[in-house]
Amino acid sequence: MTTRDVGTAVAAENKRVRMLFRSPSAKVGVLMAGCVLLAIVVVLGLRFGSLPITNWDAINALVNYSPDSYEQTVVRYLRLPRMVIGLGVGAALAVAGAAMQATTRNPLADPSILGVNSGAALGIITAVYLGQLTHPLHFVWFAFAGGMVAAAIVYAFGSVGSGGVSPVKLALAGVVVTALLNSWLTAVLLLHQETLDVIRFWLAGSLAGRDINVFYAVLPFLAVGVVGMLLAGNQLNVLSLGDDTARVLGMPIGKIRMLVTALSVLMVGAAVAAAGPIGFVGLAVPHIVRGFVGPDYRWVLPFCVVFGPLMLLLADILGRVIARPGEVHVGIVTAFVGAPFLIWLARRRQVADV
Amino acid sequence: MVMAMNRLMAHDVTLAYGRSKAVAQNLTFQVPDGRVTSIIGPNGCGKSTLLRALARLITPVAGTVLLDGEAIHRQPTKEVAKRLGLLPQEQVAPDAIVVEDLVRRGRYPHQSFLQPLSAKDRAAVERALELAGITELRNRPVDELSGGQRQRAWIAMALAQETPILLLDEPTTYLDLAHQWEILELIRRLNREEGRTVVAVLHDVNAAAWVSDHVVAMRAGSIVAEGPPEDVLQPELLRRIFGVHCDVVESGGVNVPMCIARGRSIWRRHELMVRSLTDGSDEKGARPAEPALRAERLVAGYQNRRVVEGVSVSFPAGKVSAIVGPNASGKSTLLRALARLLPVSEGTVWLHERPIGRSGRKAFARQLGMLAQEAPVPPGMLVQDFVAMGRYPHQRWYRQWSPADERAVERALEVTGTSELRWQPVEALSGGQRQRMRLAMALAQETPVLLLDEPTTFLDMAHQIEVLELVRRLNETEGKTVIMVLHDLCQACHYADYVVAMKDGKVVAAGAPNEVVTEELVQSIFGMHCTVFPDPVTGTPLVLPYAASDTALQEVVLESH
Amino acid sequence: MTTRTSAPPSRSEPSGVRVIRLGAFSFRVRLRVAGLVAVAAVVVVGLMAWSLTLGNYALSLAEIHGALKGTASADARFIVVDLRLPRLLTAVAVGSMLAMSGAIFQGILRNPLVSPDIIGINAGASVGALLLIVTRQPLAYLPAAAFVGGLVAAAAIYALTWRGHISGARLILVGMGMNAMLTATTTYLLTQAEIRDASRAVLWMTGSVYGSDWGDVRLLVVSLAVLVPLGAALMWSLRVLQLGDLTAHTLGMPVERIRLFLIITGCALSGIAVSVAGPIGFVALMVPHFARMLAGPMTAGVFVLTGLLGAALVLGADMIGQHATGVSLPVGVITSALGAPYFLYLLSRTRVRL
Repeated sequence: MTTRDVGTAVAAENKRVRMLFRSPSAKVGVLMAGCVLLAIVVVLGLRFGSLPITNWDAINALVNYSPDSYEQTVVRYLRLPRMVIGLGVGAALAVAGAAMQATTRNPLADPSILGVNSGAALGIITAVYLGQLTHPLHFVWFAFAGGMVAAAIVYAFGSVGSGGVSPVKLALAGVVVTALLNSWLTAVLLLHQETLDVIRFWLAGSLAGRDINVFYAVLPFLAVGVVGMLLAGNQLNVLSLGDDTARVLGMPIGKIRMLVTALSVLMVGAAVAAAGPIGFVGLAVPHIVRGFVGPDYRWVLPFCVVFGPLMLLLADILGRVIARPGEVHVGIVTAFVGAPFLIWLARRRQVADV
Repeated sequence: MVMAMNRLMAHDVTLAYGRSKAVAQNLTFQVPDGRVTSIIGPNGCGKSTLLRALARLITPVAGTVLLDGEAIHRQPTKEVAKRLGLLPQEQVAPDAIVVEDLVRRGRYPHQSFLQPLSAKDRAAVERALELAGITELRNRPVDELSGGQRQRAWIAMALAQETPILLLDEPTTYLDLAHQWEILELIRRLNREEGRTVVAVLHDVNAAAWVSDHVVAMRAGSIVAEGPPEDVLQPELLRRIFGVHCDVVESGGVNVPMCIARGRSIWRRHELMVRSLTDGSDEKGARPAEPALRAERLVAGYQNRRVVEGVSVSFPAGKVSAIVGPNASGKSTLLRALARLLPVSEGTVWLHERPIGRSGRKAFARQLGMLAQEAPVPPGMLVQDFVAMGRYPHQRWYRQWSPADERAVERALEVTGTSELRWQPVEALSGGQRQRMRLAMALAQETPVLLLDEPTTFLDMAHQIEVLELVRRLNETEGKTVIMVLHDLCQACHYADYVVAMKDGKVVAAGAPNEVVTEELVQSIFGMHCTVFPDPVTGTPLVLPYAASDTALQEVVLESH
Repeated sequence: MTTRTSAPPSRSEPSGVRVIRLGAFSFRVRLRVAGLVAVAAVVVVGLMAWSLTLGNYALSLAEIHGALKGTASADARFIVVDLRLPRLLTAVAVGSMLAMSGAIFQGILRNPLVSPDIIGINAGASVGALLLIVTRQPLAYLPAAAFVGGLVAAAAIYALTWRGHISGARLILVGMGMNAMLTATTTYLLTQAEIRDASRAVLWMTGSVYGSDWGDVRLLVVSLAVLVPLGAALMWSLRVLQLGDLTAHTLGMPVERIRLFLIITGCALSGIAVSVAGPIGFVALMVPHFARMLAGPMTAGVFVLTGLLGAALVLGADMIGQHATGVSLPVGVITSALGAPYFLYLLSRTRVRL
């Protein structure tokens, strides 16, 4: 909020935003390296935990499973689902984050900004409180619907008034709707302690103890979202040049923005239903990726598919390692890794006035 | 229907934003094919709105915009985008995007949903880069470029679109003299070499006259005049359009008319000139005015970047001084260092022969006031309350409204002509009124020295003159020392007694306008050709730039020397 | 946010301003603001009286008068003096403090859409309080723990925002990051807690004035007596700060020092209020807008008015929560339920391009 002049001076100071890899072959190379890294992290994820497991057991559990081995059973039925959910959820969150940042042209946009998380939580509460449902497979659809409705409300309020959808309005509407939903949530939780007991573990986003069947149930949505978004890279590129330019270039921006938002909500809703609210993956990963490959979304999105799960699984492992024999939920770890990142971002760059 | 019709036209359109009052009513406008057309007019006359309607960014409330004889809104968006490109006024570029990537995105209308960049796209991008003259900048991030280069990169993006019609919304705003001409030349080349139809909204009448074959003048939402530049550049007509007295002068030797807006002080200056001619006495040479503000070997900047490098300069007391120079030459930074807004890393500044670091904050604020370039205006506040805040350095928390405060505010309102506006909420004011109100606040501060940072930016011709006249009056009736940063050289020469020219953080020349502003100086600090000749009425120098490509003009100028 | 003040267009001194001069002292008093302050004070006193009569044990005004004078029955005295009076005085004090802290933060950050809840100060207080609850320390220390938590959060935000000067936009972003991190901490603590502790923590985090005693009231009254005059005096400078740092500098204001004072005052107001009653949502965000809409831009008078309106809101919300619904809802749920829709309405109405 300094004046423009100081602003530009400071901005000039901060223009050290360079992409690391410029040539397409370098980018492909990094993408490959990322895949290899991801494979290593998956194996590490199968190994680490309260029960020590050897590399050999971990790999055998996948390729040559013998039901007699306790270690291999743990890997196959407890840790493997966890890794699979992590892969899907991480990719979805990162891709949705990149898409939201492109459509809102706000470097701070994050799927949770649209209120999807709290909407989903309220949906589950409703299911648990009114419907007396206790099994995750039953309340996944409520989470989904709640997230969708919340996002629709935020979007509606972010787009009314003068000037149409604006990034700041969207963010504020998101913050407020989240606060409102949380207060209702609290009211229900206060009135009904059993609901609190069911939901408080879900509220801390986690990959542990999730039902893989829930994940399979939402997998189609996840897949549609990720694949659809990967195809829309060029659209996001043009959209990020501003509404005027995009329209002059012949893009029906209303439709495209609606489509992108819908796909994002689809992905995030699915991810939240499967793993609970996990913040900051959607915020931080696109930024890191842009540091690698620049602002071209045809590259950013595939990178997000690889680096999203990488970050999420690393956070998951970290949560297991730091609190042995217990563990810290991955949503909390990502918040602790992601929030300093946000602060660093705010300190480093000249942010437009909020 | 055999009627010859232009490719792009607005037919009887009424334009409005939302449900608010119409910006333009029943406007009919044909864009001449294959020519450069410019639209001029005061702020808020609807020129940008018209351009946006032509580019299909807003839908007319009534009437239609026709492209190739068909309503533009009925045509598929990509089909329109293949024929019509626009350089928007507000440009949004993602961080760290490189020039080539930006230009490539202009190919969008020619690509299908899944198609990668084809050879044809690549060729178009190359051509666009070349035309805009930025081929060697292709791998540079856009946000690192200079203002003129950035503007060219955006124009290149619109060029890659390969449209026969190109609309430009204020392509020269925020640019300094040299960069403005860089863009104007590019526009002309696009038309001459490529045969593209160009429509540009411009705020500088002289630039419009130079660049275009056809000028459209707008006022209050309607087209007042239309025709070749020499028909539109008529004093009477300009007066009607901008609401300010304009002279059209021709320089000796060069047959290019130039429009100059003038305020009342012109006649006093005229008298002065006549008197000095008849008396033969050179007033300013008689005694060097003592400096009000003096800097010696001043170094200042932001964080670890030095912007002002070892500047020694002194500003005469009781005079109006202007600091001129290209963008990023350190003008505003110097002004801020003088006003103690930036830490001075080396050197000293004296205010009335007293180092400025010595006095307390409030004491200093009673000696020197400054009007920053732009500052938030809290909505809902009344004009009088706003002006009254200028009294802050004279007040204490328990002495919030002394008789002296009341008198000073009253006077400030009166002098700036804002008395009638005093009970208005600040957001109801026009740009010119708002600037006058801000001046009134600085005035209520009752400081002998007043610093103004680009007081005329964002204002149209009439409001610029209004503000500068006020500055002049303050100097003449109140004896204030005024130091201001101006970007218009002619205005600086006209309204200042003392001109300081800066480049790259250094003072290149300082003195009376006649001595400082020469063709060599303009060439050296802005890096562009021009001819400087005395104003026939006031004798102050006028600067008429011309493009390097204007060889004929160049010859005439050379001959005249 | 555009607030319309009805400014008469005439030239004479019309807008009901009286100048009071006494020796070196001189002030301008807006009659409209003075009138509004008086009306708001009457409303608050009226609500207090009404609130004293409500409850399972209904009392008439005469009985209350008697109880206060000490002439009524011992039962009535106990209910009025020991139960109802501390609670409603707490509500009044907490409401006014939250509202005034909101006014200060909105002023410093030059952004009408922020409040201590969004920038993480309340989340800091929550972490402090929760740490106390889960470690089973005596609950008497709860206010102190919450206050320290809020203070630490505020100091961290300030330090992280500082880069030669404080930029409003950066402060908001850093605050949002801190908020996320602290909220993750509370979630973690909730999952670690016993269900009874978790339930108690959720109740505290919603904000409630239930069970306040005279000790709380004493603390609140003392802090109000210190902070309100301080805040009102600082309003004089805050007004100038609204014009931007540069203008404030040129008017000879020690900008960073004044801003630090303002932040300390704002944090103290919100920290003490939160420490007693928990983070009651939306009061800080919403009430300053009401005050500005009624009385124009923030001045010392409007600041006091903000406090009174905040008091009325929290007192009213507590009355609704306590008596209007069948179950007894904490005041924070009511203020959020009222405040969030109002805020969304404001957002849709705002003519400022966001």
